[in-house]
Amino acid sequence: MAVATINSQELHNKINSGESIFILDVRNPSDFNDWKIEAKHLVSVNIPYFDFLEEDDAVYQGLPKDTEIVVICAKGGSAQMVAEQLDEKGYHVSFLEFGMLEWSQFYNPVTVYEGENMKLIQLNRLAKGCLSYMVISGGEALVVDANRHVDEYTKLAVSENVQIKHVLDTHLHADHISGGAELAKATGAQYYISSSEMQGATGLDYKPLEQFDALKVGAVEAKVLAIPTPGHTPGSTSVLVNDQFLLSGDTIFVGGLGRPDLGGKAREWAQSLYDTVFTQVANLSDETVVLPTHFADIKEINENGYVGATLGAIRASNEVMRTENREAFTEMVAGASGATPPNFEEIVGINRGDIHVTPEKATELEIGPNRCAVHHS
Amino acid sequence: MQADLVVDAKGLSCPMPIVKAKKSIDTLSSGQVMQLEATDKGAVNDFQAWVKQTGNEMVHMDEENGVYRFFVKKA
Repeated sequence: MAVATINSQELHNKINSGESIFILDVRNPSDFNDWKIEAKHLVSVNIPYFDFLEEDDAVYQGLPKDTEIVVICAKGGSAQMVAEQLDEKGYHVSFLEFGMLEWSQFYNPVTVYEGENMKLIQLNRLAKGCLSYMVISGGEALVVDANRHVDEYTKLAVSENVQIKHVLDTHLHADHISGGAELAKATGAQYYISSSEMQGATGLDYKPLEQFDALKVGAVEAKVLAIPTPGHTPGSTSVLVNDQFLLSGDTIFVGGLGRPDLGGKAREWAQSLYDTVFTQVANLSDETVVLPTHFADIKEINENGYVGATLGAIRASNEVMRTENREAFTEMVAGASGATPPNFEEIVGINRGDIHVTPEKATELEIGPNRCAVHHS
Repeated sequence: MQADLVVDAKGLSCPMPIVKAKKSIDTLSSGQVMQLEATDKGAVNDFQAWVKQTGNEMVHMDEENGVYRFFVKKA
């Protein structure tokens, strides 16, 4: 009998349904430690697939007989082999058909807010820690920080019965390939990004975001304000929706501030970040809900299922947000950035329209976790 | 470099290069060298981890035109 396969959506549903599930990740330990499927209540064990080639039953110790085991590898082949072995031994087992490759392309839409005139949806690309947004009002939609699987947004627009009018990138992304320009082209929408992010770029058709104070989505009630929030990059712009939700890009995260070092001018950009935090953002009330473009830890997913927190909570829990001494602030953010996102120079080139790659190459470049937040461990 | 056994795993994807390697090295005696050729990029990390795990010795590895060659001495 063939072993059951499972896809990302089914796996996600299982993890979230509260039924007990045991993940057996059979990639090699260095890959597992670098990047794995995580969830709040998930038992995940790493035993490399080649350990199952030895005729030694010790490898099966610790695998539960009474819980469903889902086997995971990079692309599916090794997981299938191990799953078949487990199946023969009587374990209740399935495997993720295309492995982490598939998981890295899975998006989970969560409704953050639904009011009379507006709906705000967060699309969480769990494997990458990338978040994007759809602001819906009066049959129209604005998409912010779209990732490259543009079908996710067009499908969502169809199911919500809306037309995508505006597509916006808060900044030039270094960790994931943007789907902004492509989505705009596919839907006939306008694509906006701050022109200082695109200096010298020739390959993309965009509207300079700094020339628009506000974008109208459907009803006038959905007010979208573009607020320059330099720091992570010089042209970083946040979007304030209905004076209520701050789509903050990589400027402010639930767990702290964006890293200012990816342009090689960490100290200079950290100064901009300081000004952003203590001037523009200082004017926003503690009630404002910050919705970032990335998260670094699944703990940032709140009890409502989305990644976000009030500005008040973020100010309270992050010392750096209260560090009004410019010098100390600069030290904190410029000195704490850690490893750069994998392949970030090439990804920046693609997002500027200077480099073109095949979908296969794009997938390869994006593999791995997100590293755009500043970790204060 | 002289190998006692050459294994062709070109064109095979994970897990087959290592399945083949395991079967082949089992036929060698201690001190003999297996040369394995693979084209699956994912095999590179996995192969090194497998060699380490099994206590054998990676004596040499190189890459030419997308073909990875591994020379493993059996412990």
